[in-house]
Formats: sequence, structure tokens, C-alpha cells
Amino acid sequence: MALAQLATTFATALEATVATPFATTFALSFTGLSLGQVLSVLGGVGAGVVILYLLKLRRRRVEVPFVKLWEEILAEKQTTRLFSQLKRWLSLLVALALVAALSFALGDPRPDAATRDGRTLVVLVDASASMIATDAPRGSRFAEAIEKVRQLVAELGPADRMLVAQLDDTATPVTPLTDEPRVIEDGLAQLEPTHVAANLRAGLRLALDVLRGQPQPEVVVVGDGGFDASRFSPETFATTLRERGVRLSWVKLGESGDNVALSAFAVRRYPLDKSQNEVLVELYNPSEADAAVELELLGDDRSVDVQRLTVRAGERLRRFFQNVSGVDRTMEARLRRVDGQRDVLPADDAAFARVPERRRARICVVSDANLYLQAALLLDEYLDVTEVTTAQGLCEGDYDVYVLDNWVPPSAPPGPTLYLNPAPREGAAMPLAVTGTIERPYFDTQDRRHPLLQFTAMRDVNVGRALLVRPEPGDRVVAADSRGPLLVSGSRNNQPFVALTFDVRESDLALRVAWPLLLLNAIDLFVQERAGYVSSYSTGDTWRVPVGAEHREAVIVDPRGQERTVSVEQGRAVYAGRLAGFYELQLPDGTREVFAANLGAGEESRVLPADALAVGEVEAGAPTRGELGVRRELWLYLVLFALAILAVEWWTYHRRITV
Amino acid sequence: MLGLFGKKRAPRAVSDDEELFDEAFQRKLEYLAIVARRVYAGRMRAERRSKKTGAGIEFADHREYVPGDDFRYLDWNVYQRTGRLLVRLFEEEEDLAVYVLLDASASMGMTPTDASTPSKLRFGKQLAAGLGYVALAGLDRVSVLALRQGDEGRRVEDRLAPTRGKNRVFRIFEMLRGVRAEGRTNLVSSLRAFAAQNKRRGVAILISDLYDPSGFEDAINQLRFAKFETYVLHVIDPNEARPPLHGDVRIVDRETGESRDVTVTPKLLTKLAAAHEAYRHRIETFCGEKQVAYHALTTDTPFDEAILQVLRGGGLVR
Repeated sequence: MALAQLATTFATALEATVATPFATTFALSFTGLSLGQVLSVLGGVGAGVVILYLLKLRRRRVEVPFVKLWEEILAEKQTTRLFSQLKRWLSLLVALALVAALSFALGDPRPDAATRDGRTLVVLVDASASMIATDAPRGSRFAEAIEKVRQLVAELGPADRMLVAQLDDTATPVTPLTDEPRVIEDGLAQLEPTHVAANLRAGLRLALDVLRGQPQPEVVVVGDGGFDASRFSPETFATTLRERGVRLSWVKLGESGDNVALSAFAVRRYPLDKSQNEVLVELYNPSEADAAVELELLGDDRSVDVQRLTVRAGERLRRFFQNVSGVDRTMEARLRRVDGQRDVLPADDAAFARVPERRRARICVVSDANLYLQAALLLDEYLDVTEVTTAQGLCEGDYDVYVLDNWVPPSAPPGPTLYLNPAPREGAAMPLAVTGTIERPYFDTQDRRHPLLQFTAMRDVNVGRALLVRPEPGDRVVAADSRGPLLVSGSRNNQPFVALTFDVRESDLALRVAWPLLLLNAIDLFVQERAGYVSSYSTGDTWRVPVGAEHREAVIVDPRGQERTVSVEQGRAVYAGRLAGFYELQLPDGTREVFAANLGAGEESRVLPADALAVGEVEAGAPTRGELGVRRELWLYLVLFALAILAVEWWTYHRRITV
Repeated sequence: MLGLFGKKRAPRAVSDDEELFDEAFQRKLEYLAIVARRVYAGRMRAERRSKKTGAGIEFADHREYVPGDDFRYLDWNVYQRTGRLLVRLFEEEEDLAVYVLLDASASMGMTPTDASTPSKLRFGKQLAAGLGYVALAGLDRVSVLALRQGDEGRRVEDRLAPTRGKNRVFRIFEMLRGVRAEGRTNLVSSLRAFAAQNKRRGVAILISDLYDPSGFEDAINQLRFAKFETYVLHVIDPNEARPPLHGDVRIVDRETGESRDVTVTPKLLTKLAAAHEAYRHRIETFCGEKQVAYHALTTDTPFDEAILQVLRGGGLVR
């Protein structure tokens, strides 16, 4: 106990008189127990150890039957007596060193260099589709990126801190701002590549928010530099970076641009023969060399067609597959090199699409014996037509499409409606306001990309007279005379409509192929819209998958098999998908539907890494390195030292060296 | 119950106070007596024979007739076949004196470190009782002596006077029960006195750990020089050669009180085991040179097996 008191006195005196010189000389600060407390603990426990050691020196008395036998062998031991004494002192010193290490660990000593402000790093790990490219030593650019982050962690100085974030279409932090390598390592395990484009804007905003007011701020981008600067104003960020003194660094990954991509993929049923499909495939070769590829088309997981194609450097090559039959659910396109090699980005070597559902549409036709209309409707065997006269009014029951010929009901029909010559009538619920007539109108302007006009030729159609209508805001004029619209699409009371502003019997349209095509295009448009048909969604977008208004939530199973419950808003399940492939939608009533998603960002196929990364005028440089030195938690090393002493003591004890 | 928890039941310690010669022990003695007869059948039968030929009933040999021989012993059948006069010789029967000398010094009473083995004294008592019974069953005259030296150098011994007959074995039991391990070993003095007191020669069986500071050679020579047919049964506790010690200890001789400070290391224990073995080897070599029967018996051997080992080793019974 006297030793403990002595230590306390010594510590107090030391703190009072030489604390500053001590700190200056050794450049250490005690952030746990004070130096005085540490020395008190050391003195107290050390005294205890010495007492225990003295007790240990009292030898155990052991009776033996014949001491003479021992004397023979002990004669040799005399020479090692001095060494035995030394060993005892060494053993005591080891025990005291152990106590000292643990006592100082309680004080949590830190080098003064560590208490100075270190760097603050925000590491943005590019997780876009191009990072899946396999031209990196560890299998992919993404795996290489994680390794580069580990190197950055290893180079952290004693006072540096780091935050790691995944950069895809958003920026998601996976670690807090920390200097703990273990925490960062845990965060790295959460990183995963996606099939979307990287949103550098989101990353920079996150980084600037995190680095606000932090010492030595630095943004480190780890990726291939394939960012679309057109999506934001780099100058604004450049100004902010300069004003706040934030350094921009870039760890470049990737080296090859050798890639051929499936840049577009769509499938549709023929309007007049829904048992067959037409498939559109677009190949894109962003590399600098021509590529010979083999394109395989799969329908319902069975190979349907294989073609060998040569895509020239920089070319976008479109191919149509005609009359693809025997496919009802899904289609998939796969691309591979003719020479058997895989290009560096496998993510864009496959594309997926859902085939439109083929079902009999129920059509209600209100017409007074329009033969042209009746004949056109007979062309599609998948139409279930119910015809009533204008005197009978609307059909009763649920119908997919209402076709109203020269008649407008008093109230709007409860479904999508095709109005043919919606002439004004008293008490009628007019879809468009009629302000007059147009004599001999022509199809002067046409929206050729509108699905209503697919495969039609309307330019030279002769019309005797048309209604002059006034579209409402939101309506879309698909075709028009210079004096007024002829074909309008829009929505009334949440129900879509299409209006043809003239009577086909007063035109030669009824004698043309375009007439039944226009009619069936309108019906297909309504039916597919109602079924919510989308050939495929794009990664990076927010998907609104139709499920029916009666559901509150749905389960979406992604291509990796991971399930996620999503909410349903206005009859559509809202989901932000980041992976290309087939998804399964599961509804509470047991219904399961498949839908497809494809790589949304076409620029991700351009995998050649950038030469330089710049945000406006701010060019990214190489990452800085932390100051050399020990980590600031010296207690950790002290505990490790104590454990090492224990291990040595244990080993020597069991080897009977120190006993 | 301990077995339920996967814990082995600790071996039961054998204490000197425990009934030495219980019913099981006596059954084993009977078995030993029977086995001893079977082993030596044809050579030994029940009785020991003197080397003298005389008036016994067992035929031993022929010799040429010389004048003066008793005509009754002439073998007329041989004379009829060969024409030679031969006299039949018979072995003269004589009871043999068997002395069982048990070392009862303090070293023999060391508590064994392995609780499942008996102390050397208990083992020695069992050997003495067993061999005594075998001898009594062979109609030999058996005497048992416990040897040790008191604190003041005075020789102390418990003694059972020579006795005959199987039923006298209980006297041997009674005598051995009273023997305690005390005092120092001084075999030379004890055996010199024994030889002086027992003029009738016979078999002397020395049961001892032979831890005698003055040496074992003189002790054995005392018996040899007094014309005793000597058998040395060296009792060894196997744990004494490698005691479970480590670290700094003070070793104290149980008999002399002499002490030494030792730092026990595995290397030292190996040397001790070697020294122990060398000591045993020295005894064996000495006995071999002096034509003294020697048997090293470890206390972890069941006593009946140890006795059979001695019997089969030959010599003790002819």
C-alpha cells in the first residue's frame, strides 16, 4: 500500500509540475484516466503484483521417499542457479510490464499528432452498370473498386475519418463518418453493383453536405469516370468545391472499351394476327473495332432464332424478327461473340421483354348499321363485338372498349371510348367541344410515332366534311387539318378516348387498308393500356406496375430472387428497380405476373474509362495519403502488447521456462 | 449420476486403513495356492523336499549296493532284469523355513500420487500375506518380520514366530495388520540381527523399496553370507519415478527430513526418471551377479498377479 501511496504522490507532483514538458516531449495526451490516475492504478496494482510475487517465492513443501536420488541430478542444476535467479526477476518484470501496459491503456493515451485535425474523406464508389465490366484484376471493376477503398483505409492517418457511399442513380452512405477500419469493412460488404447509370450529382451533393465544416475535406470518386455531366450543372458544384476548399480525387478503374450491347429490345403482337409477334432488336457497338456477334432470341425460355451479325464500330444496328410465333409469355435476347469470347460488360449482353397478353377483348359498338365499321371489326377474330343501335343506347355490362358511331351518350361510357364523328346532340356528354365544321379537310399533319397511326397511310385520304372541335388541355392531336384536329386522343374522367372528327362514310378512308388498321390500333391501344402492358421497364426509372386498385401492397421478386414488398398507389405497384431481368409480381390474391426490365442507361454500354474526371473547371487528382504514424487509439496497441506478454508468459510457463 | 453428465467417476482411493485381508483377498489366496500347485506339479507336489535322501516314501534314485546297506531297499526287479544289485533311494522329507521380511520404514508408507494404487506398504503386506499363505499351504514353516529403525537408531521390528499349517495364516494377517510405516530404513542392521537370531537356514524373502541411505548391497549380503536362500521383491511405486511436480518446490526426505530446494522442469523430471531406472538397474545387476533372485514389482499390479509373477519367475518354490 505504501507503494500505491508513493505512486499517487509522484503522479500528483508530476502532473502539477512537469505535465506540459512531459506532453511536449512525448507528445502524448491522456484522454481516458488522467496521468495521475494511471500512475495510481499502476502503483496499486504493481504493489499487489510484487506482494503476490514474494508469496510465490515461498516454496511448496513436497515429501519424497528418497532424496538421494534427487541429489544425483541436482548436482548438475547448481550451475544454472544464477540463471534461475535471473529468470525470477525477469518473470517479475514481465508481470509489471503487463500491469503497466494495462494501466496506460486505461488512460487512453493519444499522440498529439492524432488530436490535430486530420483529413475528412467521402468515398463515392461507382456502382453503375459499367462497373460490372470484367477488365479488372479482381474479376470486375466493382471488385477492384472495393479493394481500392481498402487501400485508402489502410492509408488513413491517425486523425483521418472516412465515409463510404454507393453511387448509383442515388448516393447511399454505407458507413458513418468514422476512422474505424472494421466499421468501414462492414460497410463495404453492403456495396453491390447495379444496372443503372451513376448519378454524380447526387454523390457530390451528399459529399458536400457531409464535408460541410469538416477539416481537410476530400471527395474521392472510385470508378471508371463514366458519368453523364449533362444531367447537372457542373459549374455550380465546381464553385462550391473551390469555395469550401474541397479536394476532388479520382481512383481510375478499367482499361478496355471492347463491348457490344443490346441497346433496344421490344416485342409486340401483330394487330391482325395476335398469334404472331414482331421483335425489334438494336445492337450497339461503342468500341473502336467491328465486332462479329451471334444474336439468339429465346421465347418462353426456348431458342427461337439465332443470327450472326457484324456490328461496325460505333454503329447502332437494328434488326426485326418477323412472324415469331409460339411465344406467349416472355422473350429474351442474348448476345455473344462469334469467337466465343465474352465482352467486358456482360450486363448489356441480354435483354428481356414480356409478350403482350393475348385475350379476347369485349367491344360495345353503338351504331346504326355502319357496314364499314362492321366489316373492319370482323377482321380481328379476338374481338367479342356486341352491337346495339343508337336507339338502344350503351350496352349493359363491362366492356373493354366502347365504339360510338355518330352518337354521343348522355353520360360518358365507363371505359375507353372511340368516338366516330361525335356530332353534337342535346344532352350528350361531348368529349370535345364542337365549334363548327371543316369542309374537305386533309391530313396535313400526323404524329407518325403515335401507335394509332402505325402501318397507316393517311396523307391522301379524302374527307368530305369534318367537325371543328376544340381539344382540351392534355389532349393530344394525332392528326389534323390546318384548320382543326381530325384525330384526337385524350382522357375524360380517367378514361381514355380517341375521337375521329368525321364520318368515315363521308370519306374514302373506309375504302382503304388504313381504316381497319386505325380502328384496330385504337382498340389495341385501349386494351393494352387497360392491361397496363409494358414490354419492359428501364432500370433507374421508377416503375409503376399495374396491379389493380383493390390491392394495397404487392411483392416483387427481383432477378436475384430477393423479395420486396412494395406499396400500391392508384392501382400501380411503385418500385425503383436497379437490375435488368425478369421480375415476378405477387399479389395477395395469389396472382403472379412476370414483367421485364432492361438496362436503362444506354451510355453505360460505353465502358471505355474516361481519361480524366472533371467537375466544371475542377479536375480530379490522385487521392492524398494520410500522415504516417500510429493510429490514435494507442490503448489498442497497449492491450495487444499486454496480450502478447500474456501469450509469452503462457508459453514459457507451459514450457517450464519461467517456473 | 456423474455419468449422466459425462463425468468419469474418479478412481476410488485405496487407503491403508481399509480391510487388508477381506474375503475376496482370502479367496484369491486359495486360488494362488491351487495355481502354485498346478504350476509346480511334478516338481513340487505339496511339500518341499530337502536335498537329503533318506527314509522318505518318495523314490529318488538308484545307487550301487555297498556292503552294509539295508537289504530291504534292494531293487529285486532290477536285479532280475540286469543282474545288478542296486539300492533304491528315497527323498527324506523336511519342512522348510520361509522368512518373509517386510520393510516397514516411512518411505514404504508414502501416500501414492495415483489414488487408484495402494501404498508400497499395503502392497508389501499383501505380497507377504500371499506368499506366506502359499508357503503354509506347502506345509512350510513361515515366519514374518517387519523391519524398520526408530528415531533414536533403535532397531524396531514386529515379528511373527515360525508357524505351520494353512489355518495359521490368520495369525499372519493379524500381525501384518498391526504393521505401520514409521522410522528410517536400516536394512543392514535389521538383517544382521535377523541372521543372528535365526540359525535355521531357509528361504528369506525381502520385500522392500530398497531406499536405504546406507546402500542395499550390504543388506542383501547379510542374508547371502548367512546362507539364506534370498529373494528380493523390489516394490516400486511407478509415480515416484516421475512425480506430478512443477515449479519451485522444497523436497523433503520422508525418512531423514533432509530437504533441498528444486525448480522442477520437464527436463529435470526426465533425469529423475532416468536416475530411478538406473537405481533399479543397479539393484537388478547386483542381484544377478550374486545369484539372488530379484523381482521388480510395481504397485499398480494386482497383488495376485505379482505373486504369480514371482512364482512363475521360478526359484522361490522348487
